[in-house]
Amino acid sequence: MGFLAPWFLAGLAAVGLPVWLHLLKQHKTTPLPFASLMFFERRVQSSIKHRRLRYFLLFALRTALLALLAFAFARPFVNSTAAASANGGKLMVLAIDNSFSMRQGDRLERAKSQAAAALAGLRSQDRALVLAFGAQGHLLGDPSSDVSALRAQIRSIQPSDDRGSYAELTRALRSLVLSSHLPVEAHLFSDMQKSSMPPSFTDLELGSGIRLVPHPLAGPSLPDFAVETVTAPARVYDPKKVRLLATVMSSGAAAGRRRVALLLNGREMGSKTVEVSAGGRAIAEFIGLDAPYGMNRGEVRIDSADSFPFDDHYYFSVERSDPRPVLFVHEAREGRDLLYYRSAISSARDAAFTLEAASPDQATAGPLARYAFVVLSDVGSLPASLESALRQYVRAGGSLLVALGPASAARRRVPVSDAPIRDTHYSPRDAERFETVASLDTTHPASRQAADWADVQFYRSVRIEPGSARILARLTGGAPLLSEQPVGEGRVLVFASTFDNVSNDFPLHAGFVPFVDETAHYLARLDDRSSNLTVGSYLDLHTGREASGAAVEILDPHGARALTLAESTRARSFQLTGQGFYEVHRPNRQNSLIAVNPDRRESDFDVVPPETLALWENTGQASVVQSGRGAEAERRPLDFWWYFMMAVLALAFAESLVGNWHLTVDKEAV
Amino acid sequence: MLQRFLDPATLAGLSGLDLIAKTVVDGFVSGLHRSPDFGFSQEFAEYRAYTPGDDLRHVDWNVFARTERCYLKRYRGETNSQLLILLDSSASMSFGSAKVNKLDYARFVAASLCYLASEQRDAAGLIVFDDEIENFIAPSTRQGQLFRLLHAIERAEPGKRTDFAKPFVHVQNFQRRRGMLVVLSDFYEQPEIIIKTIQPLRFRGNDVMLFHVLDPQEITPHLREPALLIDIETKDAVEVSPEYVRHEYRRKIDAHIAELETRARAAGFDYFLMNTRRPLDEALREYLAVRQGRM
Repeated sequence: MGFLAPWFLAGLAAVGLPVWLHLLKQHKTTPLPFASLMFFERRVQSSIKHRRLRYFLLFALRTALLALLAFAFARPFVNSTAAASANGGKLMVLAIDNSFSMRQGDRLERAKSQAAAALAGLRSQDRALVLAFGAQGHLLGDPSSDVSALRAQIRSIQPSDDRGSYAELTRALRSLVLSSHLPVEAHLFSDMQKSSMPPSFTDLELGSGIRLVPHPLAGPSLPDFAVETVTAPARVYDPKKVRLLATVMSSGAAAGRRRVALLLNGREMGSKTVEVSAGGRAIAEFIGLDAPYGMNRGEVRIDSADSFPFDDHYYFSVERSDPRPVLFVHEAREGRDLLYYRSAISSARDAAFTLEAASPDQATAGPLARYAFVVLSDVGSLPASLESALRQYVRAGGSLLVALGPASAARRRVPVSDAPIRDTHYSPRDAERFETVASLDTTHPASRQAADWADVQFYRSVRIEPGSARILARLTGGAPLLSEQPVGEGRVLVFASTFDNVSNDFPLHAGFVPFVDETAHYLARLDDRSSNLTVGSYLDLHTGREASGAAVEILDPHGARALTLAESTRARSFQLTGQGFYEVHRPNRQNSLIAVNPDRRESDFDVVPPETLALWENTGQASVVQSGRGAEAERRPLDFWWYFMMAVLALAFAESLVGNWHLTVDKEAV
Repeated sequence: MLQRFLDPATLAGLSGLDLIAKTVVDGFVSGLHRSPDFGFSQEFAEYRAYTPGDDLRHVDWNVFARTERCYLKRYRGETNSQLLILLDSSASMSFGSAKVNKLDYARFVAASLCYLASEQRDAAGLIVFDDEIENFIAPSTRQGQLFRLLHAIERAEPGKRTDFAKPFVHVQNFQRRRGMLVVLSDFYEQPEIIIKTIQPLRFRGNDVMLFHVLDPQEITPHLREPALLIDIETKDAVEVSPEYVRHEYRRKIDAHIAELETRARAAGFDYFLMNTRRPLDEALREYLAVRQGRM
């Protein structure tokens, strides 16, 4: 029992008032001379005591009234057991781990058989349900006492590629207690993988009314080899430049040489042999990937010859395509900006872009839609047709990088983004009055690798009014150096200086190439989506740029449609539940191939230490002990202040009657 | 108007006991004239043949003129009696819930009876007692007897406890002639003892009247709250509740009064309960009724 507003208990001090009135205040009797006490006997005292007894009744009523009033305001509550538990019934939850690691040997079958055997302990007043859990819990039916139906549910459990999560299991159990109002006895059939434990132990708090009965299935730790991860580019533009890394790990006492094979579309492209130490890792490197154009299904496979072959391969997808053209618009006076930018973009990873330089007049000739993005490098006068085309191109989803220099400073506004240009800041080189980068937003993809900007000296920069633009970098004077302004569906990055090594020495610094590379990938939207995910991940289906009602079609690893027609137009995301390749067909021919692999933490067969398991069990038992008895009882606070208030009303009524009886003036009295 | 003067509270405002007695009796007698049920005093009773030695003033000369025989005219008032008043002056008689306490009331009654007796030419005497004989005036018709009685009554002060034995033994020793005994007391004693003490006087041919003087607060007491009652005589204290007084005490005092009246009447006494709130004429009426019965 507790109080929701215990400070009102201070009102109990008011009980002192009747105590003073009835007990402490001296009862004064008026001495009256009387002719004779012949007819007054000593037993009159008993009458007095009787009278005082009635005063005590009034005293008790008043005291109880004040005390109950204080208690009522203090909002008392008790942890009441749910009504359903009054008959001693409980909910038996058979939680069966069907995560990826349960594929090892006959673990899942043993879990199912033990779960079926546990049903023998189901009493007539009990109910049971079957819960299969991996990364999430899945109830296989409603709570039932039908043992045959429950056994059928147990038999229907299939292994999954999910990662086991005891935190999710705990959350599911807590939800069951709240929804069923029954004490829960959870039988956990699992290999008790240590990697399934959450980072914080508080996530395992079972809470009230849950008793955990673990049934460990795993024996000693097994030796296992697994392909832990494959690092491969999502897109291949130049097959010769492709570098693919495959990490092979060993868990347990396994050690030895293993052959690592690279397969592409089912065809072996090469193999390596690596020496893996016990509990260590080895990396196999493959240079060059002669992938055909289009989406390719890649796989790295090892010959592990261990007891868990399901982690001996790792899928990845790679898209082979031609480099995408980038339009570099500049006023061809010196061409140093083109030189530096071209050099940087050709040195960038993947060789994903080819640069096409053009003057503003030349740029008006061709369509802009075929370019990955457009660079305006210190362009002063921009033909109206080109500016209009650029505006239309950006609003349709294109990207624009604007570098501002002395020429563009003559303009009143930044092209397309329309940010006002205030002035040009000039610092002479000889006086070392240059500016440097003062602040960087490293969370933005375009500037996250800009750690080498500290030594870059900016001698001339164009001051703009950023307005609602996101500032990614500022100079020491506080002026924006790099800002992003979304326009329509597209992106406009404004660099408030030039790429020509005149206004700054940025092109000579190591950070220039990563900057060009990152901004190029960001503007070309090449890093929007990853093509290699783990089981349980969610895939964003609609980016918001598609036309309303556009359908997204997904083919699962077995080639079946994963979404219904309605879901394909409405679903915003899709959970990848199995390993393999998912084909995603989006509108505007934006297709992708997603490689999905199980979480490799499932290949770590270390089990939870017994003391940790006991501690987890105690998080449920502790609350049961607090309940005093009935380990299954669910306790929840029951606020019953209104009972007290009803008692207060009844007592007030009784006090009025008794008090009126005592205090009525005797009209016959002299 | 005259009735107002019979009210004890009104009488208490008068200065002298003689004036009180005269006011009471005169008012009472005046009231009698309006009542057909009562008549006495100078009323004609009978004719008697003259015998030598009779007072010639009582000869009815009209009868002698018609018959030439001497007859004496006799009146009832000429039949003298003896009145002895026993006035209880114990401490309990000093109790009173109003302006007039029991002793005052008893004084008024005693004075009025003495005055009335004096008017009737009756020999009146007085014994004032508590547990002793405080004062004794033998019955007499002598000149100044009334003033002696009134003086003795006025001097009666609340004394100690009540003891009926001594005054009545004293009466037995000194009384030579039959008469009327009026006992004014609150009779806080067992009725059996009271009657047993007084009864010998009745055996000697006296008419005994017990005037039971009680205050209304003694008959029907009311308390608003518990009170500590202190016995005026013994100084004992008892705390009583209003409920007890309202129920138990009333039952007991009523039983006491009823038993006393029953035993008194069984012994041939006249019993009269005198509430000090009530007018005095009731006591006089009772006295005269008894006296008339003796004629």
